[in-house]
Amino acid sequence: MTSRISRRQFVVRSLVAGGGSLALAQLLAACGGATESTTSLAIGTPDAPVRLPTVGEPIADGVPLESGTLQLLNYADYVNPETVAAFEERFGVKVEISIYDTEEVVLAKMRSGAFKPDVILGLTDTVLARMVAAELLQPLNKTYVENFGNVIAGLRDPYYDLGAQYTVPYVIYANGIGYRTDRDVDTSVFVGDEGWNALWDSRYAGRLGVLDSYRDAISMAMFRNGVFDPNSADAAALSAAGDELVALADTTRPQIDVLNYEQIAAGNRDIALCWSGDVLAGQQYLPEDTGVEVLGFWYPQTTITANDFFCVPRESSKPVLAHAFINHLLDVDNALANQSFVGYQPALEALTAEKLVEAGAIPESLLSALVSPETYASGKRLVSLTPEVDALWLEQWTRFTAG
Amino acid sequence: MNAQPITHRDRVWRVIATPGIAWLVALFVVPFYAVACVAFGRIDPIFRSAAPEWNPLAWDATTAVGVLGDISNGPLRGVLLRTVVFVVVAVLISFIIGYPVAYYLARHAGRRRTLLLALVVLPFWVSYLMRMLAWVNLLQPDGFGSRALRLIGLDRVWLDGSATTVVLGLVYGYVPFLILPLYATLERIDWRLVDAARDLGASSRQAFWRVTLPLSKPGIAAGALLLALPMLGDYYTNDLLSRSPNTEMLGNQIDFFLNAGTQPQRGATLVLVLALMLAVGASWYVRSVVRQVAEATR
Repeated sequence: MTSRISRRQFVVRSLVAGGGSLALAQLLAACGGATESTTSLAIGTPDAPVRLPTVGEPIADGVPLESGTLQLLNYADYVNPETVAAFEERFGVKVEISIYDTEEVVLAKMRSGAFKPDVILGLTDTVLARMVAAELLQPLNKTYVENFGNVIAGLRDPYYDLGAQYTVPYVIYANGIGYRTDRDVDTSVFVGDEGWNALWDSRYAGRLGVLDSYRDAISMAMFRNGVFDPNSADAAALSAAGDELVALADTTRPQIDVLNYEQIAAGNRDIALCWSGDVLAGQQYLPEDTGVEVLGFWYPQTTITANDFFCVPRESSKPVLAHAFINHLLDVDNALANQSFVGYQPALEALTAEKLVEAGAIPESLLSALVSPETYASGKRLVSLTPEVDALWLEQWTRFTAG
Repeated sequence: MNAQPITHRDRVWRVIATPGIAWLVALFVVPFYAVACVAFGRIDPIFRSAAPEWNPLAWDATTAVGVLGDISNGPLRGVLLRTVVFVVVAVLISFIIGYPVAYYLARHAGRRRTLLLALVVLPFWVSYLMRMLAWVNLLQPDGFGSRALRLIGLDRVWLDGSATTVVLGLVYGYVPFLILPLYATLERIDWRLVDAARDLGASSRQAFWRVTLPLSKPGIAAGALLLALPMLGDYYTNDLLSRSPNTEMLGNQIDFFLNAGTQPQRGATLVLVLALMLAVGASWYVRSVVRQVAEATR
């Protein structure tokens, strides 16, 4: 049986289809999300610190603690369950932890209302200005965070949030190379800024990791090329870094993820571009019969240093409890307990390298993975890029990941 | 044209089917249109998120053209080719594994058929993600899987970002999808036709190639499609077993641009490209089914 439609039918159906698609367009537009923002961003840099615009008022003094369940949004394995349990016991509340993968997801899902946490851990200044512009965060009331004075002095008034209006530092870390000391890793190259070459060594093929973070990975390739600007807008420098990463992919078949803390410890990787906290955290993931001395970290002379922070969403239903949670983790003993699980170094003045070693949190063999207030201050910082420059970076990242 | 009259029964069934059809159409049209609006829309200059353009008359194809350029002669060409090669190889290996199993189940399993079918379906009781995570543990250098494979002479690092591991992961994950439709087709074959072929002098091999295989074509087509469609969009097999640039698939690029990157337009355009590829496969399948039905009712 053949089926044909007449011209009249065609015209009628076309009109129906056209009208339908226009109606669909109007319906979807009415559902929101179609409008572009017109506000501007206040992005701080170490050279040009910024006081973020204040959106709303902090909670008033003397408000009683809420009861019930505190919703915590965090990266996986990025807070010690025992430290959380201690908080629950102390305040008679429950804490529920939701996991996120990337800052972009947090921004998107909070804007859409899909995430409604009371407190967020782990964000960095690359997303902060956008979170504030979207009016997603509330200014903090420091009278509820009496342990704020424990924070490293240089971070109490950070360039990305002068006055620490919205953020409280959580941990600090630096980029470098994590490796296994019991494998055939040539540590003689770990000198000055030359050690990055190790990541192009074919002897580590199939046993090498690269951070799944385009800013960190491309910056590393630029550092290897002698370009020490991790916020570069120079297309030629970025393209050269992309060439290097393509060569790295061809030579070493790297695995691109953020699991170095597990994978190096488990013995699945010999070497990786990682955050210093990854090798510190690796202690928790070593097989039972493996000593901590198998973990090593090369701290480059010139590298990126960063810190994650706590913040409280504007829509938090338990802001006082959220402040109390932040305060709980700024307590030196609690921070030390948290560090024993997370590995990452608390951004607290009292937790010096000596103190961490003395407390048994860090073995002496991993002292090289610790960031001091001085090395933190002298490190390079990643700041937000303009969309045009960001596109240049992503172009090179696509070249690398596409293989 | 000889149109058959619409009966009362036809009308009743049309009414019954209408809500379901409307539901399916809406669930296809609305999300697809939304993806197109993202692909041809803009990026919010502040939040770097998608600013979909709902009016088709205002669509901007700049990013889509750029992505197509990257596919035709840029970094995404390798990803697309690799994805297709992985899927083709994985489907072929799945056939080599799955066809004999389906054939045995349909023809020789006897009383054990129910038990064996249950075993084929058993992996579906555990989520795909959990099964892949289990393989990550098994294939670690000191994992049980690696140690067992070492005993039979396969001494290598499996989680080293190699294509072999990813393809075998795809085969493992999806092969039940092939066995079931193949079994359903083989089970319906009138085996007297094979007996007739043998009676007429065909060897068992000839009977298989000239009778069994052609008669199982609908199952082969359905199985190939059921395998290829999810494999083409798969990203977590590679994510868990390799995550190396050497094994990057189209799904991984989509995942990055939509979830982690700041260029959702590119991700949405790749979704449209993938949908087009899937539509070609699905059209081929529908056409072959229609042709077979026509032949059967001729």
